[in-house]
Amino acid sequence: MPAVQIKDEARVGTEARVKLQPSVYLEQLFKTGTPDLAWMNQHGEWGVRAKPGNLGLRLKDIEIGSYGVIPDRGGDHRSMAPRGAVVPPDVPSLGFTVNEKAECWADNAMELYEEAVARQWSSARDIPWSELKPLPDDLEHAMCQLCTFLTEVEFIAADAPTRWMSQINQDFLEVKLFLATQAMDEARHTDVFRKRALANGGGLGKASALSQLSLKRIFDSPSFSAQTARLHLLGEGFVLTMFRQGEFIAPSRVESEIFRRCMQDESRHVGYGTMHLRAQLSARPELVNEIHEQLDDAESILLQLFSVPESVEPMAILMGGGLKHFDQGMEMQANLWRRIVNEYLQRCDSAGLDRRPRCLLPTDFTKLFAA
Amino acid sequence: MPTFPDADWFLALGHLMEVEGELFRRLGYAEVRFVVRVIDEDGRAERETAVELDGYKLGRVATLHAAAAIAPERTAALEDAASHQLERAPDLDDVASFDPDFTICATRVAWNRMLDEIARDGRPEARHTLSSLALIGEELWLESTDQLREDKYFRFNQTLQELLNLSGKLSR
Repeated sequence: MPAVQIKDEARVGTEARVKLQPSVYLEQLFKTGTPDLAWMNQHGEWGVRAKPGNLGLRLKDIEIGSYGVIPDRGGDHRSMAPRGAVVPPDVPSLGFTVNEKAECWADNAMELYEEAVARQWSSARDIPWSELKPLPDDLEHAMCQLCTFLTEVEFIAADAPTRWMSQINQDFLEVKLFLATQAMDEARHTDVFRKRALANGGGLGKASALSQLSLKRIFDSPSFSAQTARLHLLGEGFVLTMFRQGEFIAPSRVESEIFRRCMQDESRHVGYGTMHLRAQLSARPELVNEIHEQLDDAESILLQLFSVPESVEPMAILMGGGLKHFDQGMEMQANLWRRIVNEYLQRCDSAGLDRRPRCLLPTDFTKLFAA
Repeated sequence: MPTFPDADWFLALGHLMEVEGELFRRLGYAEVRFVVRVIDEDGRAERETAVELDGYKLGRVATLHAAAAIAPERTAALEDAASHQLERAPDLDDVASFDPDFTICATRVAWNRMLDEIARDGRPEARHTLSSLALIGEELWLESTDQLREDKYFRFNQTLQELLNLSGKLSR
């Protein structure tokens, strides 16, 4: 094998401030030429032979033997040493603070991770941008304002959970892998809505102080589970319905593709959040009141958010098919509101949270307007 | 010639799904079990077919026999698939284990319109897609015992729609 040429090789290390001595092991190896190989006797369960299924070798296929045991409490070494490996006694702690399984686990995390990886898409490649057509001003304004809102709020679902991701014990790797896919999904959502706003003669519209307040509260959540309730259960559940509306209101196949693909991604996030809360509330039912309090506040902000024109009117214009059908659009919004609330409450049921008596969201849209 | 929603009609789509493998690989795999229910003019379940997507191909497909006996209430819990008898089950050994994630209920008119538009344009109009119709919920709605499982309809929506869009390549 020819030696790799390194530029200015003679200068490398001439001003190094630290001088390292070769280790005892390397000196010995240099002298004798005999490898140590003791590491070959230090391993986790051996003889493991995971078999791929019809869709390849997935995480669930390697959850076998001792490697498939998810501990109720993560390793006390709190390092990134892989679960199931031999962990030396001197590994430095990375200071993980989420060390109980119930604090982050969801039984569908592995499934959702693999699904997310398999169903990634590209906003540059997979959206038929060339099919965009000029829209009447009212529709373009409404679409751009909706895209502004979505560009504004989507990345919170990357920024906020990844703050906690770095705190989650590495033994719950599957959760961290899923959250990484969620961050990638949200990056794509942020880019695709920004692209749409800038691609058809419009531009970005008005940002919202109330949106920012809701994001701040998600950011400042006191625990991962509290954040999950606000973000995944209510926030992403709500946005999921908006994405479903998006395909319905799409003026062209561009928006239709954007919203449908985002909808698929968002459903995974909601699925993780619902299952995590189910696991957490099952393990620690005493947390139910903390979750309710988070949702009291989150629902309250959501209602305020839907009390300002830039939130209410774009969707009504798009639903109605133009400003001249605004009333019709509002009527459709009213019908959809019941669906949003119904699905949210059903997800709460699925999480094991009886939210119905305490829910601030009226089932009747017209009550949003009543004093 | 099989017609919608015959089990054989879905099997023909499954064959096309394998022919069009690259499209479905690009969308990503889908693992979901669902029942397609056709509602007649009187609001009663006229036909039911159980369909399973197993990655990038169709899994089990079966005609459920007792559709006419099903109560039409939209809010009723999903009927136990085990109570139905298979009329034809070429690759379904145990109907009791079918356990669908959701049932797609739609009027005969809505299904026919969607299939007509697919035959004409290769895809339904934006307001007549699976996603849009389920959003409005008048002509097409979902039934499930668990919102989490119902949400698979949205997680795999593009795959479900592309599967139906393949019907444009079938003779009618």
